[in-house]
Amino acid sequence: MENNTRLAERRATLLQAAAQVSHNITSILDLEQLLNQAVDIICDAYGFYYAGVFLIDEVGSQDRSDNGWAVLRAGRGEAGATMIAEEHKLKVGGLSMIGAATGQRRALIALDVGEEPVHFKNPHLPDTRSEMALPLLVGDADGGVRVIGALTVQSTEEAAFSDDDITSLQAMADQLAIAIHNARLHAQNQSLLAQAQRRARLLEAAAQVGYDVTSILDLDELLSKAVDIICDVYGFYYAGVFLIDETKEWAVLRTGRGEAGAAMVAQEHRLKVGGQSMIGAATGRRQALIALDVGEEPVHFKNPHLPDTRSEMALPLLVGNETIGALTVQSTKEAAFNDDDITSLQTMADQLAVAINNARLLKELEAAHAELVRTKTFEAIATATIEAIHWIGNKALPISSGVDRLQNDLERLPQADPDLLESMREDLTLIADSARLIVSVQEHLIGPAREEKPRPAMLDDVVKDAAVTLGVPADTISYTVAPDLPLALADTTQLRRALGYVLRNGLEAMEGADEQQIAVEVAPTEDGRFVAVRIADSGAGIPEEDLDKIWAAFYTTKGAKHAGLGLSATLQILQQMDGQVSAANAPDGGAVFELLLPVFDGSLSPAELPADKSILLIDDGDGWSRFVETTLRNAGNTVVRSADGEVDPAIFDLVLLDDALETTGSTEVLKELKAAGASDKTTVVASSLRVERTMKLMQLGAQDVLLKPYTPAALAEIVR
Amino acid sequence: MDEKILLVDDERLVLRSIEKTLLRAGFDIETAQDTSTGLSLFEAALTDGKPFDVAILDLHMPNLKGQHDPNAGLELLSRLLEMDTALPIVVLTAFDEVGRAKEAVARGARTYFVKGREAELVEIVNDIINERNEGV
Repeated sequence: MENNTRLAERRATLLQAAAQVSHNITSILDLEQLLNQAVDIICDAYGFYYAGVFLIDEVGSQDRSDNGWAVLRAGRGEAGATMIAEEHKLKVGGLSMIGAATGQRRALIALDVGEEPVHFKNPHLPDTRSEMALPLLVGDADGGVRVIGALTVQSTEEAAFSDDDITSLQAMADQLAIAIHNARLHAQNQSLLAQAQRRARLLEAAAQVGYDVTSILDLDELLSKAVDIICDVYGFYYAGVFLIDETKEWAVLRTGRGEAGAAMVAQEHRLKVGGQSMIGAATGRRQALIALDVGEEPVHFKNPHLPDTRSEMALPLLVGNETIGALTVQSTKEAAFNDDDITSLQTMADQLAVAINNARLLKELEAAHAELVRTKTFEAIATATIEAIHWIGNKALPISSGVDRLQNDLERLPQADPDLLESMREDLTLIADSARLIVSVQEHLIGPAREEKPRPAMLDDVVKDAAVTLGVPADTISYTVAPDLPLALADTTQLRRALGYVLRNGLEAMEGADEQQIAVEVAPTEDGRFVAVRIADSGAGIPEEDLDKIWAAFYTTKGAKHAGLGLSATLQILQQMDGQVSAANAPDGGAVFELLLPVFDGSLSPAELPADKSILLIDDGDGWSRFVETTLRNAGNTVVRSADGEVDPAIFDLVLLDDALETTGSTEVLKELKAAGASDKTTVVASSLRVERTMKLMQLGAQDVLLKPYTPAALAEIVR
Repeated sequence: MDEKILLVDDERLVLRSIEKTLLRAGFDIETAQDTSTGLSLFEAALTDGKPFDVAILDLHMPNLKGQHDPNAGLELLSRLLEMDTALPIVVLTAFDEVGRAKEAVARGARTYFVKGREAELVEIVNDIINERNEGV
């Protein structure tokens, strides 16, 4: 009876202590605090000498063959602190009481400590005479029970625990296990929360960067501010922006944070797209890369300007399908970036890429606008200038006629003083010369400014036309034409004007010389981009000091009879046709002018040629006539070529007459054709059309006078 | 002699200069500085039974509505030829007006004169009149 009463009292005490422990520990969410307070509360509530909590380390439990270790995480008093400092641990499933309790998942009692075989004699707890080891068990997700550790409670009394005590103490241990589990879940939640908060903060920073940079429209300002903003917002050590250059081969550093950045930009730091560097890899693969341990990451470029970098991220700058560059961000902390950060930092990089693209588009737009303004201004000035020159020329016309009349009148003046008459004649001559110069200058000035109508052209033919029109004797000029000469893109009217100026310059340079020879060479340039016309004369050459000046308007070495506009007009004409012109002296004397015109690289339009016509072609046997013959014959027509038209024209459907014939005058040929009644089926072609010539040919009966065709399609237009 | 010539050009100084040159060559000249005056003079001469023998027209003038028009001379040319299909017309052109000069000939102009040496214009008019007289 007394025994039963004592037993009932003890049970009540233990249950009360269990309730007290439970009440005090379940609200503690920090694991360390929970464990430390639990051992104190247990000792106080039960009056134990010592209590300790072991938790099974999670690394060891991953390996199935290894049960892992039960590591002491909290212990009462100095003894506990010392053992924790010694990293006291016991093998799960081992021979110790904790090892057995965790291994067997049941409570064990050692009453006679000196004799119990499973008890480890602990020098820190010399007074222990009874000990109980209680497994800490929690339910797991699939309904089983998992051991997370063990609780040891020790008493200085021998036989302090009975089997009856196990139930109530295990109930307390179960409460503790739940509390530990909750604390751990809480810590996990906290960690997830912290991760989410970090992500939110990075996204907020991305938005901040996006907001700050998208309003900057000047590219240079945008880039330099962007790296500052990125470093400030994220707290990075360094940030730099690389943009891919026009060749698409290099990512060139355009801006970098601080002095390191400035130094690298000054050194024109660049990295190969698709190369080994992180920037190279990020731009090549179009994906973000992280190098956490910078020393070991193989793609990292060891940069002497940034010695403190321990983590680096390279983010591609992408606009649609285009990679425009990459952003590097670097931190002095090891492992500063994780995979989660990629999303938010890439969001920021995307914003930056859009801003850079906008700034670039604006810059292009501004450049286009400036170009437009320049063009419009030039057009306005050109129009005004042409109007002004027309006006001056027209006003000067009556001067010449007035002088003519005055000179006639002068001869009929009765009883005039001969000296006075002579003086008046001289003055009239002065006026007449001046007026003539003004009128002739008008055409030289307006001519080159006329609107261009570039078309595919055979330059060898245009230069020959220019020479024939100018009246260069056939035995004074020789031609060397490269085989398979490509067509050039040129306005032949303007080009013939320019060639005329150059040829005239050559003729004048040779005046009075013993040998008079002009050598013309027409060939493509080595790079295949231009067709070059080289005109070499056997004159005295150009004085070296004049080589640059000859292109200036109104510069002449030939005295008052020239206005000095020919070569300046030539330069203007060639520049307008995207060509070039230069002058030099040949080693063996004489001047060499070289005119370059762009090769026609477009495709020829299809030609709708007639198939059954008989055509008389009156031309020298040159490259152009061979083109006409071949093209028309291949289409199925009959073609007869004659150099002088001494063929009965009656049998032909059509007569094609080249206006520039080397030996016969085309006007003479046309007169004969008219006499033979064939002028109304004669078309005269010329590489350049002028009013006087055209009118003369029309009056001689030509059916039409047209620009010379150099392509099958242009030929078809004429013979159809 | 004393052939009647109609001269139309809006450049006053050019007009007077050509007029003087042709007067000295012995022609009877009437001038107009715009196309509508030119048309009126021509119509009046027809009505009076003293038609013009030759017309010399600038191509670049204000048109019949008084607006600046590069084809005003062509327009007048066509109107004159409607009234007198055999009228010899000389058009005055600038150096670079190939297209318009061809158009003038296509519309029936006898010939053209590129503004410059007026003595050449006298020769052209003489040729036209000689040709006509020989034909008669």
